[in-house]
Amino acid sequence: MQEEELQKMEKKSAYELFFDIPVGPQHPALKEPAFFKFRVEGERVVGVDVDVSYNHRGIERALEDRNYIQNIYLIERICGICNVAHTLCYAQAVEQLHGKEIPPRANYIRLMIEELARIHSHTLWLGVAAHEIGFDTLFMYVWRDREVVMDLIEMLTGNRVTTAINTIGGVRRDVSDEAKDKVNKGMNILEERLKYYRKVALNDPTVNARCSGVGILKPRDAIKLCAVGPTLRASGVKNDVRRDDPYTLHDEVPFNVITFDTMDVFARVLVRIDETLESVNMIRYCLDHMPNGDVRIKLPLSPPVGEAVSRVEAPRGELIHYARSNGTKNPERYKVRTPTFGNIPSVSEMLTSKSDYEVNIADIPIVLASIDPCFSCTARMEFRDVSKGKTWIWSLKELKAHCKK
Amino acid sequence: MNFLLELLQILVFPGVLFAIGLAFVYEWLDRKIYARLQNRVGPLYTGPSGILQPFADFIKLLAKEDIVPNEVDKPLFNALPIFALTLSLTGFLALPITDLRGVISFNGDLIFLIVLMTLICIVIMYSGISSANRFSTVGAERAALQLLGYEIPMMLSAISIGILASSMWVYDIVSIQANSGWFLISPGILGFAIFVLCGQAELERIPFDIPEAETEIVAGWLTEFSGRKLALFRLTKDVELLYLSGLVVALFLGGPSGPVMPGLEFILYPLYFLLKTLFVLFLLTTLRALFARLRIDQMVNFSWKYLVPIAILQVLIVRLVV
Repeated sequence: MQEEELQKMEKKSAYELFFDIPVGPQHPALKEPAFFKFRVEGERVVGVDVDVSYNHRGIERALEDRNYIQNIYLIERICGICNVAHTLCYAQAVEQLHGKEIPPRANYIRLMIEELARIHSHTLWLGVAAHEIGFDTLFMYVWRDREVVMDLIEMLTGNRVTTAINTIGGVRRDVSDEAKDKVNKGMNILEERLKYYRKVALNDPTVNARCSGVGILKPRDAIKLCAVGPTLRASGVKNDVRRDDPYTLHDEVPFNVITFDTMDVFARVLVRIDETLESVNMIRYCLDHMPNGDVRIKLPLSPPVGEAVSRVEAPRGELIHYARSNGTKNPERYKVRTPTFGNIPSVSEMLTSKSDYEVNIADIPIVLASIDPCFSCTARMEFRDVSKGKTWIWSLKELKAHCKK
Repeated sequence: MNFLLELLQILVFPGVLFAIGLAFVYEWLDRKIYARLQNRVGPLYTGPSGILQPFADFIKLLAKEDIVPNEVDKPLFNALPIFALTLSLTGFLALPITDLRGVISFNGDLIFLIVLMTLICIVIMYSGISSANRFSTVGAERAALQLLGYEIPMMLSAISIGILASSMWVYDIVSIQANSGWFLISPGILGFAIFVLCGQAELERIPFDIPEAETEIVAGWLTEFSGRKLALFRLTKDVELLYLSGLVVALFLGGPSGPVMPGLEFILYPLYFLLKTLFVLFLLTTLRALFARLRIDQMVNFSWKYLVPIAILQVLIVRLVV
């Protein structure tokens, strides 16, 4: 009797004013499956719950069944857009296992392709962000100009998206003088267009209205929640793997680490546009200073026993690969930490209303997009006992022990 | 005989069939212009330059499965698409097209025309609420809020035209303009700007497509509608676009009037009507391509901060002139 009364009272409570809005696993704002449950009161978001594991592909396990050369092509498919960053990181890790340096010309080509991929990724993001705030015209224009860099990548590597240019011990293709001219011309076009988009972002009143003061991430929170990449830099923290732990030739090729102090979505837009302009300059430097020589050294298929960690600044942030070799032609263990995974705690912080900071339903898509999410690379597994409501995580050893039982 | 002629006028020309046919063509034009502004080609394959694409879309939707979820308010859910289409077609009948007066014309019909638009918005609200879907509920909420934002400036600018013509009869408004020049050129320019902007909000197009914001709330109040019902709602939107351009033309651009040769009015009037509505359509489409979507609070804010005071100013100016 008492229980029933209590239930009645609960139904009439103010709690019923709130309801949940599901964003995902299928939603027009998300290009990949992830689930965000928003508790809203009218237009105001009061709580958020994140679940990212909708696309577990078992790539790390699959890597252990293939040899090092085959793995290049699998690694590349972790993420279509940052495929260059992934193959670069992988190649570096395996070269570290071998303990060998690659020829300087190969390094220049690697860096050039990496920066071209960054331009392609950032312009793609700019278009998506414009679409999220309903500015389809900007979206179409940006993607039209993105074709310039796509064509350059195709010319240099043979493929528009999955480039497969980086390989263990160097790169697969050389860059001819003709190609250099074309890249130079393409860079001029891109620089002009990007400066124009910077002007648009700075001057358009509706873009300002939708991006300024939205999705704020304070530097303290950004560091505490381990944000990476442009998300972290837009909060004013100078952090870039290319500067902090230089790989390929980043200690030789000059560039600026772009930061911005408004800490909102607007800052993330500008950081990405400015970074793209920096990449244009870096590519020009590479074209001018590229030495002659080989682009690849031959390495044996099986590296010696050992461990290696390699870090790369992917367009979305810091990417970490870990490899363990037992001397055979397959890796014993391979582990990938993608940047989006590092940014998920920050995004739920950005989407939580606080006393002086309010999140609207309308802000959800652009704030989600502002970390440039790529959810397919972020699947993780946990175990849940539904009847007891318990959740836990098993290490590899425990999992294997459980399987043997 | 007279009765038959009236029936023909209502059903065929310039009534229902003409409105629907023209609405499809205008949707095609809208999409095509929008696409060209964005450096795309737009509809291309169905018919010459894709002119039949909206019609093909409509037929396709008619053939699709019509899903009625268990939780919806079934009578409302089924009836609302028909209500919406009827309302917009009724509005079209009252527009002056072949003559200086519409098929339906009576003293005070300007108020009737404006109320029709509000009614369509209320239908939209009900369809959101009756859908029992979270996205639809948010969409309906937004539609109601948006109505609070744009309705008052829109009415004020229509009233200013009423004051200029000293009549709330569209026939009077059009015939005064036919004799002494368009209200757009005389002091109605502010009212014109406000009316077009609010029209954009009424039609739920960028930057005011807030109630059906795709990336935020899927399709807003439209989310649960499918098949025939969705087809009817889309047709409603097309007819509404045509109706609104026609209303702007009647209020500010002199309706179907223009230089005529005696005896040729029945051809020239519709021709002028088409040309003028095309101009308004072009304006509406360009507006759509220029902006990002606003947030609902920003929209209401903008409306009360700028549109309402300017609309009041317009009424004052007009009062001084008259």
